[in-house]
Amino acid sequence: MKKEKKTVLHGFHLEKGANMASFGGYDMPLWYSTGVKAEHLAVIQGAGVFDTSHMAVVMVRGDGARELLQRCFTKDLERSVGRGKTPLIIGRCVYGIFLHPDGTVIDDAIVYQLGVKEYMVVVNAGMGPMVADHLLKAVEDDTRVEDLTDRVGKMDIQGIASARILKKIMRDPETLFEGMVYFSFKGGFGSFPTAVTETELLDGTRVLVSRTGYTGEFGFELFVEREQLESLWNQLLVAGEEYGVIPCGLAARDSLRAGAVLPLSHQDIGPWPFLANPWQFALCWNDDQNGFTKDFIGADALLEETDLQYTYAFAGFDPRKISSEASYVTDSGKNKIGTILTCTTDMAIGRQNGQIVSIAENTGDERGKSFTPKGLSCGFVLLEKKCETGEEIYLTDGKRKLKVEIRSDVRPGRTARLPIRTMV
Amino acid sequence: MKELNELNLPEDLRYTEDHEWATTGGETLKIGVSDYAQDQLGDIVFVEVPEVGDSFDKGDEFGTLESVKAVSELYLPVGGEIVAVNEALEDSPELINEDPYANWIVEIKPADTGELEQLLTVEAYREILKG
Repeated sequence: MKKEKKTVLHGFHLEKGANMASFGGYDMPLWYSTGVKAEHLAVIQGAGVFDTSHMAVVMVRGDGARELLQRCFTKDLERSVGRGKTPLIIGRCVYGIFLHPDGTVIDDAIVYQLGVKEYMVVVNAGMGPMVADHLLKAVEDDTRVEDLTDRVGKMDIQGIASARILKKIMRDPETLFEGMVYFSFKGGFGSFPTAVTETELLDGTRVLVSRTGYTGEFGFELFVEREQLESLWNQLLVAGEEYGVIPCGLAARDSLRAGAVLPLSHQDIGPWPFLANPWQFALCWNDDQNGFTKDFIGADALLEETDLQYTYAFAGFDPRKISSEASYVTDSGKNKIGTILTCTTDMAIGRQNGQIVSIAENTGDERGKSFTPKGLSCGFVLLEKKCETGEEIYLTDGKRKLKVEIRSDVRPGRTARLPIRTMV
Repeated sequence: MKELNELNLPEDLRYTEDHEWATTGGETLKIGVSDYAQDQLGDIVFVEVPEVGDSFDKGDEFGTLESVKAVSELYLPVGGEIVAVNEALEDSPELINEDPYANWIVEIKPADTGELEQLLTVEAYREILKG
């Protein structure tokens, strides 16, 4: 049996009594002794830190780097930034997918433009070699593709207090946060500087700070050299104490991202064409929605696909859920119409008068300070038929049957896109 | 995750390989899940229990525990009729995480008290947890 890899924070996880599990070839924490509910709520009401150094980093450098990514990635780098669809520039990053020629998913990724001819591609745990191989097969010049996973230390701080916590350990936080929009970054790390900005901790550690994340909440992903990660992690925990920051595991990541309608690669996007799903922003559709603005590997298969499978987000009416093993979806007539991809509980939401409300919105008088939700089940289904938002479907394992509702959105009041001036 | 020596495993209960416990000695038995089970499941968000008056055989599924990530079936250690369910768990399922022994799940009137003798002693249960 292949030995599982450990991140540099593995000792910390064990010391904190984390419930560990195998994920992407790594032994990772599911939750710590605080429990997954406290971790989920910490991110929404304060902040949480996540060990994400199991994720893979592939560097693409050279004259043909941009063209190579254009051939291999679903996002058009010339029309990818902001509402105006302007080109990707140094200091900005974009989310997209790497597809097989048949339109099925290799992995999703965030591509960062570090320099004029230098891009950092962040993909999921264990996917570095596959994505590097995919890129190398498409190389037409001397563009270099290098899997740097084992050299990079990565962690995330997510939640409304993230900037205030980060501010306490940064050398020049005002400059860092100035004009820092969603999906932008500053700084570089170790021997991977970016062309225009320098960002350092008070102790001189060089760090790449990216205003992105996987929870739907305001926050940052932080990249340092592998050897510097433990120090950064500890600094954030100390600085964040007054804001209730706690370490969070994969279970909270999962419940938060499902509530934020974000896909988990190899679970919610996988070996079926990446086409009829809530993540159309990852594809470079033209204005008429009948073709793409560029050619890329997998594009033809998507455009020719006629046997559609539909991925939808859903939310339940209480916290009850169905184990995703051996379970399936039916319509009201008990006809089997698909499978469950993810089924978890978002602990921060409940229903009031038929509407989903979140503790994130629980600041005004309207909902009262007493709103303490029990949580709602949520996740994704893959269906053989098209459904409308609001349509009720049933999750079942053959014995138990739960009614859930197709949703375009699940947890309201998410903070990821709030202006940074309101968060520092 | 709790180490074996950190688990609270009361001596006066009997256990199953599926991590349920049962009281002994009375005309009725209380049934719950062990400290190991609640620790493995994590935060419990919903407990599904049967109706009072339902009858089950030993080993039958009588309910489910749902944590944020997982759904876990509950199996009856001893056959019998449900005479009470712990209604506090409906509003506060997290009580099982706080104290899995004070917070029993169902109370049964056993059909055959002999079945109790087949359950694991705390020593035998501890051996199973050692793996």
